Amino acid sequence: MEKQLKHTEKELVALREEVTQMWQLVLSQLEKAKQAYLDNDEELAREVISREKRVDTFELKIESDCENYIALFSPVAVDLRLVLSMIKIGGTLERIGDFAESIARHVVMDGCRGITQELKDKLSISNMFDMAISMLSDSFVAFESENTKLAGKIMQQDEQVDALYRGALDVLAKYVAVQPEHARCALETLLVVRKIERIGDHCSNIVEEIVFYIDAKILKHNKGK
Amino acid sequence: MIETKNIDFYYGDFHALKNISMKMEANTVTALIGPSGCGKSTFLRLFNRMNDLIPGAKLTGECLIDGQDIYGKSVQVDELRKKVGMVFQKPNPFPKSIFENVAYGLRVNGVKDRNFIKQRVEESLVGAALWDEVKDKLKKSAFELSGGQQQRLCIARALAISPSVLLMDEPASALDPISTSKVEELIHELKRDYTIVIVTHNMQQAARISDKTGFFMLGELVEYSDTKKMFLNPEKQQTQNYITGRFG
Amino acid sequence: MGKKTNQSIAFWTFRILGLLVVAILFWILGFIVWHGVGVISWDFLTTAPTDGMTGGGIFPAIVGTFCLIIGSMVIAFPVGVMSAIYTTEYAGNGKIVRFIRVMTNNMSSIPSIIFGLFGMSLFVNTLGFGDSIIAGSFTLGLLVLPLVIRTTEEALKAVPDSYRTGSLALGATKLQTITRVVLPTAFPNITTGLILSIGRVSGETAPILFTVAAYFLPKLPASIYDQVMALPYHLYVIATSGTDLEATRPIAYGTALVLIAIVLVMNLLASMMRRYFGGKNKVN
Repeated sequence: MEKQLKHTEKELVALREEVTQMWQLVLSQLEKAKQAYLDNDEELAREVISREKRVDTFELKIESDCENYIALFSPVAVDLRLVLSMIKIGGTLERIGDFAESIARHVVMDGCRGITQELKDKLSISNMFDMAISMLSDSFVAFESENTKLAGKIMQQDEQVDALYRGALDVLAKYVAVQPEHARCALETLLVVRKIERIGDHCSNIVEEIVFYIDAKILKHNKGK
Repeated sequence: MIETKNIDFYYGDFHALKNISMKMEANTVTALIGPSGCGKSTFLRLFNRMNDLIPGAKLTGECLIDGQDIYGKSVQVDELRKKVGMVFQKPNPFPKSIFENVAYGLRVNGVKDRNFIKQRVEESLVGAALWDEVKDKLKKSAFELSGGQQQRLCIARALAISPSVLLMDEPASALDPISTSKVEELIHELKRDYTIVIVTHNMQQAARISDKTGFFMLGELVEYSDTKKMFLNPEKQQTQNYITGRFG
Repeated sequence: MGKKTNQSIAFWTFRILGLLVVAILFWILGFIVWHGVGVISWDFLTTAPTDGMTGGGIFPAIVGTFCLIIGSMVIAFPVGVMSAIYTTEYAGNGKIVRFIRVMTNNMSSIPSIIFGLFGMSLFVNTLGFGDSIIAGSFTLGLLVLPLVIRTTEEALKAVPDSYRTGSLALGATKLQTITRVVLPTAFPNITTGLILSIGRVSGETAPILFTVAAYFLPKLPASIYDQVMALPYHLYVIATSGTDLEATRPIAYGTALVLIAIVLVMNLLASMMRRYFGGKNKVN
């Protein structure tokens, strides 16, 4: 016999569902931002920008629902950790959404269409995008399945993204040295790369929250140990 | 729907309720909270006129249930109580069988049809989420049930006469946490069919199960609002102090 | 003297006095049994006295006592229970109730011989019942009325108020509440009171002296207007004013034994019932 959920549990399930939806939305924003950036697709970029509002709304909704949940149901133990982590995850997802949007803005305002495909390849921007996307979707799987096995993988990916970022910095530095007239363009590109790198950081923050929720372990500020 | 207009209530010289006006929508759970002696139970007992039993009680103001003034001249108290069921703080089953406890309200109201009684008893026990636990021992004494089961039996007993309003006076205060959570779950289920008013000392309970909350103090309704608002962002300082436990 | 010594002196005083009561009871019982058990036989219980009450049995007296028990209960029980219902359930705690209560207590302290005289004056003479079962039953009924009222009141008060409010909250009227919940719950305790009063009735001599008891009547009553013999009075007679006191002494002890047995059995029954129903109706 299926155990009937209590109404307090149902509320929590509904709350989770909201976070899931937000996650999917942000994931799709990120994917579209990547597409728009790589293809210089202005239309797609505008779509990303206009959908950013929905991400913001989600964040506010999740935040206030979590507050209400705590105020009304005084959760403890795993429930409390889940709600606390959901507040933070909601905030972090919103930041990731912001980055996706601002990458899309680069596409729209772009003063430097001149950046060549060759350079993009050299910077492995596509690769970085893919990694960030996979981190975000892996962390979602970890959250959904309440399984922290993927955490290690995601943390590793974050380091890879960081490495790619440092590599991109070198590439761009050389590029500017050779073609100083494209300096502004190079800097803008650096900003995009930097944003992807930040998305990676945020994903690992999310993973830390998931580990806190599931295993009650605190990974934050603990790297290198 | 329940509505009170400028209710004042006195026990002899004691002014127990001061100018209470409140509206409770149908199919909602309204929780009444406040320190002991604040008048919340007295207020609850207005609705089935249980206060009538107290000598020296005096009431002014209007108290309407579904638009009818329940203190009107034409109202018969026992008819009113059929419409407004009540569950008490301590489970108080009669020293009768489980079946007879639930059938009691029907019998005293003149129902003779055995099949109907049987059917209503089953429906009520199902409604009170007790049927599965007692269906094989309906003839056993109600005292053989656990405290939590007895309380659900009392709820079933109240449901049997098909009231539209259910009053609950700290229905879970004598129960252990698991029974409490069952009763709370039941209350949440019941609001689909009944208008429920519940007095509770347990603020978490009020928060968990009610849609609206009224905070009483010294006979006054200090604040009455959506439960969410009440527990996240109460308007009055007094309310804040009470629900955060910084009282006095 | 230290505190400890004081303590133990007090303790032993209380204990010895307590045991003394038990000892006295057993002494009396033993005394009666010792002297009386010899004459107890089937014949003694089932035949009438013969030879100017120096021989034969006590059958008419046993029957008479049972007639009086039944008669007095038929009178005292309904009146007592109903007035107790009035005072506990209906009357609240006003002046009238307090007055009734005081009067009931006073009534129970009136010596039983006064009841006898009153019964003779009212039932035997004024109402013209003559010396009869009905006159005796009324008199004994009046005698135990306070006891019935008091025990019924206690029984009703022992019913938790939550039953009453619970019943009223379900739309029951006051009368329905009383007949369907309060009385059935109180019933065992009320019955206990009834049995105690039966014990009282079967042992009283003074009230029946002038109202019903026959000195010697070796036949059974045909109607409630007949006189009967009764155990306590029979005992009194053969112990004090028989034709041959020495010869009847064993019969007197035998009669006493039967009487005590009836009273003891009634009391035992009462406490058994209380225990039986007490266990069953326990309120958590």
